[in-house]
Amino acid sequence: MPEEAAGKGLAVADRYYQDYGSRARELKRQGKKILGYLCAFVPVEIITAAGFIPFRIKGDVNEPITKADTEMETIVCPLVRSCFDMSLKGSYEFLDGIVIPHACDSICRTYDVWKYSLNLPYSHLINMPHGTGKPSLDFYQALLGTFRTSLSKFAGVEISDRELIQAIKLHNQNRAKVRELYGLRKASPPLISGTEVAKVLIASVSIPVEESIKMLGDVIEEVRQRGGVPARKSARIMVVGAQVDSIAFIKLIEDSGAWVVADDLCPGAREFFPDVTVADPIEGIAERYLRKVKCGRTYREMEGNYEEYLEDRFGHMSRMIKDFNVDGVVLYIYKYCDPFGFEVPQIKSYIESKGTPVLYLEDEYSMSTIGRLRTRIQAFLELLGSK
Amino acid sequence: MTEEKKPEEKKKRKTATEAASKIGPMVKATIGGTVQAREEGKPIAYSFICCCYDEIIRAMDIVPVWTENYAGVCGAKRDAQRFLERAEAENFSRSLCTYALCGLGFDAWREELGEMPPEPPWGGQARPDMMLGSGQMLCDPRNKWYQAAQHYMPDIPVYDAGAPWPPYEDDYDYREVQDYYVKYIVEELKGLVKFLEKHTGRKMDWDRLSELVDLADRTWNLIWETYELRRAVPTPMGTGDAMNTMVPMVFMMGTQEAYDFYQELNDELKHKIANKEGVIPDEKYRLIWGGGLPSWFALSDFNYFNSKGAVFPVEVTYRMVEAIYHFDIDLSKITDPLEHIAWRWVKFWTYWYDKAKKRLGSHPDVERLIQYIEDYKIDGIVMHEAFSCRSWHVGLIWQLNLLKKVYKDIPSLILESDIVDISSYNEADTRARIDTFIDTLEAVKSQGR
Repeated sequence: MPEEAAGKGLAVADRYYQDYGSRARELKRQGKKILGYLCAFVPVEIITAAGFIPFRIKGDVNEPITKADTEMETIVCPLVRSCFDMSLKGSYEFLDGIVIPHACDSICRTYDVWKYSLNLPYSHLINMPHGTGKPSLDFYQALLGTFRTSLSKFAGVEISDRELIQAIKLHNQNRAKVRELYGLRKASPPLISGTEVAKVLIASVSIPVEESIKMLGDVIEEVRQRGGVPARKSARIMVVGAQVDSIAFIKLIEDSGAWVVADDLCPGAREFFPDVTVADPIEGIAERYLRKVKCGRTYREMEGNYEEYLEDRFGHMSRMIKDFNVDGVVLYIYKYCDPFGFEVPQIKSYIESKGTPVLYLEDEYSMSTIGRLRTRIQAFLELLGSK
Repeated sequence: MTEEKKPEEKKKRKTATEAASKIGPMVKATIGGTVQAREEGKPIAYSFICCCYDEIIRAMDIVPVWTENYAGVCGAKRDAQRFLERAEAENFSRSLCTYALCGLGFDAWREELGEMPPEPPWGGQARPDMMLGSGQMLCDPRNKWYQAAQHYMPDIPVYDAGAPWPPYEDDYDYREVQDYYVKYIVEELKGLVKFLEKHTGRKMDWDRLSELVDLADRTWNLIWETYELRRAVPTPMGTGDAMNTMVPMVFMMGTQEAYDFYQELNDELKHKIANKEGVIPDEKYRLIWGGGLPSWFALSDFNYFNSKGAVFPVEVTYRMVEAIYHFDIDLSKITDPLEHIAWRWVKFWTYWYDKAKKRLGSHPDVERLIQYIEDYKIDGIVMHEAFSCRSWHVGLIWQLNLLKKVYKDIPSLILESDIVDISSYNEADTRARIDTFIDTLEAVKSQGR
């Protein structure tokens, strides 16, 4: 990482967040190959092992969606539309290819639109199953094998188990750093704000994993040395939702007087907390993405009674609420989001049944709509303050 | 309050065929039959269309409640709003699939009352004993809807059968992966049979299943041959009717009744063709319904097209079969019924892949349009973008752009509304857009293009 130019820790994160894609662009100029991807369900380990740099395509809440509308219907999730819009407008002109997972309808059903419109040298859909049973796991491993072969062909080199294991270790190391970073939020007041964490995580998915590990390490050290954020009596909030790739919403909550101390988001705890178990690398990757990453896109089979089923699906949220001493949860869902939209009544009643208030907000992924949520957030914080 | 809302008056659509006019009473009887089956204690399963399991549930005498169908009926009767509003009150976004919202709103209300909501369309949606979802590329509600319904019916088990098909890719041929797709679907269907046996206490009769699979094969062929008759000029049946005649195809597959229905339709169409009896006597424009589910509450728009001299001899929507003798494998040699179902499924979804490979830059969905345009002598394309459904309504703009690029520029119209939510529909605006489209068709025709 060119430290002199970029600074260290939070300054690096801020730079890469503000000028998203700048590091990938720089690396591209140096001859590296960059593969763009959507969502947390692309196994970045395989991309890294192939010698490519995985780059998370993100949208921009400040940029009106215009060009995308000539190719993609407005009934698609606004985040995906924004990502596509940014790609069409040339923000990610450095990409050598795209990898898209079968995550949700908005992503999966637009694969062809992405593929044909961007016309990049490489594209691949990972047709991930929804179920988590043994047949689904076996099928997913076969799909990963196809992806591995396809990417090897594009890279012109075979992706060996050794390289795969090495990549897994690197990404696990990165995830361990994120967990360590989250540990700094447990203090009261938290040592790092939610806005800062969001910025760091979003920056981290735009740079090579080795650089992300270094950046996260620097951030942790810097935060520990600087001491706590200004003490004030504030509610501790957890945000639950799909992908939040802008600091805008988190900042709105914190500007309203609360601390965002925990989340179940991407990029965030959902994406970074589970590791790949290194034994058989493909089996380990399949197990992680299909079973360990708990997202509404995956259908978890019911075992036991309904209460146990809810625990299986949402228990990690209640554990986080306890571990991070959360006062209230904001359930933040985009319009047209099928995987999370259908879960709202269940998540809300599950968390409330554990004694934590929930504010459900639907949004359209733009600064103008985010701003309109301020009043409801303030009212929610007042409600928490009065408890 | 939602209880106070009365259904708006619905205009009856004029059908061209006798067969299509029989569908309404047939669906009404089927829905009534599910309510009666509930009273008689027969096993009832919430089911989705296009999920590979038609013959399986038929072979086990499980009564399907087609939840999409019921929502469509509520929409067609213009009595869905109160259920949509109920779902919204439960915190489901109005941007989600309105079939699902209608069904969830109905379920929430029925479970709260312990009986059907007041004046339920056609007797209501019976409480199920099980719910059969599906994980595939078709749509997320297939694996989210019933899971969400458990919020109101926590005692009702769900089985979610994975049924994917290989995507169309440049970096490998689908034949390289089809074996493991089939293997997966077979495993998932085996799991479904076990699940059904557990929850019904019945054993699968594998011989009967094989017979029904064979019946379904024959029905597929018959439907394909029957629909191909619509190539005739004047066409004897339009898409408006096809939105009715799809009922036995997607809700009754694997039954003799479905086969007989299409035999009758086949006879009727042949008779009409022999007598040169078309949907309208003087066809000016032949159109394809190129994508999207219809607005069930506005099927009379097809009559409006007819009044302007336009007919729809063909549609992509709900043409969920191909002649199986066109597939590149001989299905008759696959004797295991589950494997047979899985191969038929994979071959259906990959049917247009080879054609697409032969035209530079093309795609299977676009090849299908091209073939229909040529076979049915099509002058223009009409599509419908339903705001609440991402499964059938995403990629329409792109398909039209690609069609223009790899084939030719052909007049097109994308209507915008919904499948169930009538508040998204404006009749005057829709018809004004149709008028403009007709003007375009006329201009193109007069220029001899």
